Order: sequence, then C-alpha cells, then structure tokens
Amino acid sequence: MNTQFITIFRALSFILLALALCSLIFIAAGFSAFELFESIINGAFLRNGAMKHALRWAAPLFITSIGVIISFRAGYFNIGAQGQFYIGAIFAAFTAEWLNGSPAFIVVPACFMAGALGGALWALWPGLLRLKSGADEVITTLMGNFLASLILIYVTGGPLKDPSGSGQQASSRPLDAAYRIGNSYELSPTIIMIAISLGLIMWVLANRTAFGVVSGLAGRNATMVEWQGAKLMSVGLASFLISGGLAGIAGTVELMGPNGRLAAGFLPAHGFTAILIALVANLSIAGAAVAALFFGGLASAALYLPVMSGLPASAIEIINAAIALFITAKSKFLDMFFSLGSIKWKK
Amino acid sequence: MEEMIIAILRSATPLIYVTLAGVIAQRAGIWHLGLEGLMIVGACGTILGIVLTGSVLYALLLACLFCILGSIIFWFVVEKLKANQIIAGLGLTGLGLGGTTLAVEAIFGTPAAVNAKFGLPKIGEVFGNIFGAFSGLSILVLLMPFVVFGMWVLICRTRLGLQITASGEHPFAARSVGVNPSRMRFIALMIGGVLCALGGAELAAGSLQIFAQNMTAGRGFMSFAAVVFGASHPIGAMLAASFFAIVGALGIRAQLLFGEDVPHDLLLGLPYIATIFGIWFSAKMRGGAKAVTGFGELRDQ
Repeated sequence: MNTQFITIFRALSFILLALALCSLIFIAAGFSAFELFESIINGAFLRNGAMKHALRWAAPLFITSIGVIISFRAGYFNIGAQGQFYIGAIFAAFTAEWLNGSPAFIVVPACFMAGALGGALWALWPGLLRLKSGADEVITTLMGNFLASLILIYVTGGPLKDPSGSGQQASSRPLDAAYRIGNSYELSPTIIMIAISLGLIMWVLANRTAFGVVSGLAGRNATMVEWQGAKLMSVGLASFLISGGLAGIAGTVELMGPNGRLAAGFLPAHGFTAILIALVANLSIAGAAVAALFFGGLASAALYLPVMSGLPASAIEIINAAIALFITAKSKFLDMFFSLGSIKWKK
Repeated sequence: MEEMIIAILRSATPLIYVTLAGVIAQRAGIWHLGLEGLMIVGACGTILGIVLTGSVLYALLLACLFCILGSIIFWFVVEKLKANQIIAGLGLTGLGLGGTTLAVEAIFGTPAAVNAKFGLPKIGEVFGNIFGAFSGLSILVLLMPFVVFGMWVLICRTRLGLQITASGEHPFAARSVGVNPSRMRFIALMIGGVLCALGGAELAAGSLQIFAQNMTAGRGFMSFAAVVFGASHPIGAMLAASFFAIVGALGIRAQLLFGEDVPHDLLLGLPYIATIFGIWFSAKMRGGAKAVTGFGELRDQ
C-alpha cells in the first residue's frame, strides 16, 4: 500500500514540475500564468456542469487508453492509437452508410464491430512488422497515424463527402438520428455504460487471465516468458489487436455519439492524450479511469478557454506535452523524500 | 529533369539537417523523437526572427537559441531524471508544436500562418549566376553537403566523435577511460539542436518564407526513421533522407501526370509509406534496432 502511495505522490510531483515549466512558457509568451491556470481549472472542473463535460471527453479517452495499457503492458510501444482511432471511425462510418435504412439494433452493433475491426487492422500491420521482422513499432505506428489522417481527409472529401457541406472543412454526411447513441449537448448513458463495461472486461483480462499474466510478464522479460513456453508471437499479436480494436471502438463512440459525422482531422490530440492517461495511471486500468477524468476535464477546458476567457486553447496542448515530458521521470531524491528512508525504493 | 532535382533538393535539405541531428543523438545513445518539435521550433524561430528583427542572422540565432533551450530540457529529463526517451521525446514534440502555436498567437493575436517579407539568402544573390538554374535555392542547400561531410569527420574521425559514439554504445566502458557519457550526450544534443534549427529554418524560410501551424507534418519523425534506415551513419542517413524526399517528389510528379485518376491525398502519403518500408527493410537487414530492451522500466511495481 505504501509503495502505491509513493507512486502516486511521485506522479503528482512530476506533474507539478511539468506545470511549473508550463507557467514559465506562458509567462514568456506574455500571458498571466495564474489567470490561465485559474480559467483552466474553472473550465475543467468548477464551472456549471463541468463534471458532465469532463465525463463526455473522458469516456472515449478511457476506452483508447485501456487499449494503450494492454499493448504497453506487453512491452509494445503502440503509439498509433490516433491512427487506429481514425480508421475505426472510418470503418464504422462506411458500415453505417452501407446499412443505412436498417433498424438501429442492427446498425449500431454492426458499426461497433466494424470500428473494432478497422482499429485492429490498423494495428495488425505494425504488429506483424514488429513480430515477424523486428521493425520498430514506434516509427511504423507513428507513420500509420499520418497515413490514417490522410485517409480520413480523402474519405471525408471523396467517398463519404457531405454534398451540402460549406466546403470550409471536409466532412461526411451526418449520421441518421436514429443511429446516434448520444449527442453533443448531453451526456449519453450508453457511452458511459460502454466505457465501464469495456473497462471491467479489460481489467479481468489483464489481472485475472493467463493472457494478462503472460503479457504483463512479457513486457518485463520477454526472453524468460519465451523460455517458459509461452508463444510470444500470439501474445504480442493479440495485444496489438486488442489495443487497436479498443482505439477503433473509441472512434466509433465519437462518430455515433457526440460528433455524428466524420470531419477531416477531428480530435487530433486523442491518441496522444490516451497514451498520457495510460502513463499517468502507471499502466493500471483502475488508475486510468481517474486519469481519464482529469484529462477529459482538460480536453473540455480546451473548448471553454477561447470562448469564455479569450485565452488560447494551445495552452492545454502545452500542459499535456509537459506532463508527457516528465511523467516517466524517476528521481532518487523524491523517492528518498517520500519513503523517508524507511523503504529501499527500487531504482 | 533539372526542376525535378531542384524540387528534391528543396524537400531533402531540411530532412537531411534534422537527420544529422538524429544521427549524433543516436550515436550518443539517445533515441531522439523530439526532432519534430525542435524542427518546428527552428522554423517558427526563424520566421518570427525575420518578422521581428528584420535580419536573417538574428533570426537564425534566435532559432538556434530556442532549439538549444529545448535540447537542454530534453537532456535534463532524459539524462538526469532518467525518463523514458520515447515518451519524453514525444512530449518535447508536443511542447514544440503547442509552444509555436502559442507564440504565434501571443504575438499576432491569431494562430494563422505568418508571412515573412524575405527568406534566407539565395545562392544567386551570394555567388552570382554561376549555378545556373540552381541559383534560386537557399544557401543552406549549398551548405548541406559540407555539413554532412563535416558531421562525418566529426563523428568518425575525431576524438570527440569517438567519445560520443563510445558513450552511446557502452557507457560503462566510456566511463572507465575517463569519458563522461552524460556530458557527451549533452554535447551531442546541443549540436543536434543547432542542426534542427537549421533544418527548420530551411523548411520555413528556404523557399516559402511562411510559418504555419504543424508545418513540419511528420518530417521530424521521418528524419528519425532515416537515422534508423541509414544505420546511424551520417552518409547513410543522408542517403535515406534523400530517398524519402525523392519518393515525395515522385508523388508530386505522379499527381501532375495522372491528375484526377489517383486521389491527391493518398499520393501525399507516399513518403510515409517509404518510411515504413525503410524501417522494415533495415530491420530485415540488421535485425532491427530497439530503443529499450525491457519496458518494465515504464511501470514501477
């Protein structure tokens, strides 16, 4: 228990360090750091209905981040959540287009299956490249992100183009109202239920099944796991597919819920934020739920800032990036300070 | 043909500068995924410098200053706080992308693109017309082969370069002969910072004279892939970066040839596909390079 508290305190102190760096940047840019942080906290957590907005952003982020956790636990740096998120949304949009006119109880599950399939496919090729020939998945998944956003631009401007669009930003035809599982004004209980049930399933998978144990061990010592007789190939591929599939489901949630249509370059920071949530939560699924709420709040503040207080939304991007810079840091000094010399803390 | 070569030189030069920064960091044992962020900081610093001071020299100095500052933060986090290089690098990239947007917004009031009145000096303005059709290129293009050669000499033929390589390959052995790996990484990242500033300057002020949000569009990551593809050797990495640029130029050429038959957005993806191919190919040839062997370090249990 004690070590868990130390981990949490350490994460918090590095987040504070990141925020200090942010305030230096804000001051250098000529903004009042105090005012900026005040409006961010206000926009994220204190204003009327802030919790609702935070939850709205947190649910898809949580779904993507548990996928990221599954692949990070297994030792694969799948940072292509953004691309898998896009491809999942594209697959779901095509399915909705194809089944247009069928009753909702067929279309909605079909879209979710297609979304998961699309995300998993976009994780499959980096996974195969990594496991078959050792091509580093960091670069391949990153390049996959850029390719996926080009495909999204193509799809929204080509096959799925909304003919009545204003032309300023390419977007697809809006989804039929009957197929929407939520809208942009209120919190949808369906989406929250999906997020909670996926979280529970993944928690069981990660903590109570052979796959969870083996993949967690493979992340720490792949050679040992292989010598014990586990098939590293299938464990690795499964974690790639699960993480891609979850990102695809998050894309479907965004498409069928708050967004209702595909737009070129929508939610460009989704994948990166999901990775951050996974790291802040120290790769624990329960922790990810809490971290997702925090970053969901920040995401809703990004919309609130320019409208309500006239401050730039890029402040949120900077805060996220600074947290990423520091979150994996280790410090002997801090560990000694927190354990007060009583526990010898592992490096 | 001539204009094709000019187009390739134009798109390859920023990549090559940034790739060299990646090479020297890689040699020192750092997987530098912050290249993208440093590159955009260099691009933004140059354009803002030209707009605010009206002098190219001051603009380049400003860009170098900011890139070195970013490199110092990166070095501190990776070396002193032992953070994961990939995540910290992505954080630095995010900081660069967000920070440049914030800077433009703070100075001009909107995050729209910034135009400068003039860019880097052109070859023609400095040397007259002796380079013929190539005199429209910026002097950083002319400087590029010398910088590549200089980096080759520095890395492969000088004491400092060998010390840097040693502290990347075997920090313990380096320390045993009195080389401080931490300081070598610092030096490598500083040199890399200056190179990133030059790459960004060439990208923004070489032929365009414009700074737009996210204008690097993954070029930093592509340069990083060129480092891996080019076996972290300056010449090899230069060839790899040129390969990506050539594929990009061919894509544009294909677009002119086929017109509407091939979707324009998908042709833009060709350099990314070439990058994936390059990574796959180098993994096939050399068995793959891994940043970190175990990921247990990500999680403290």
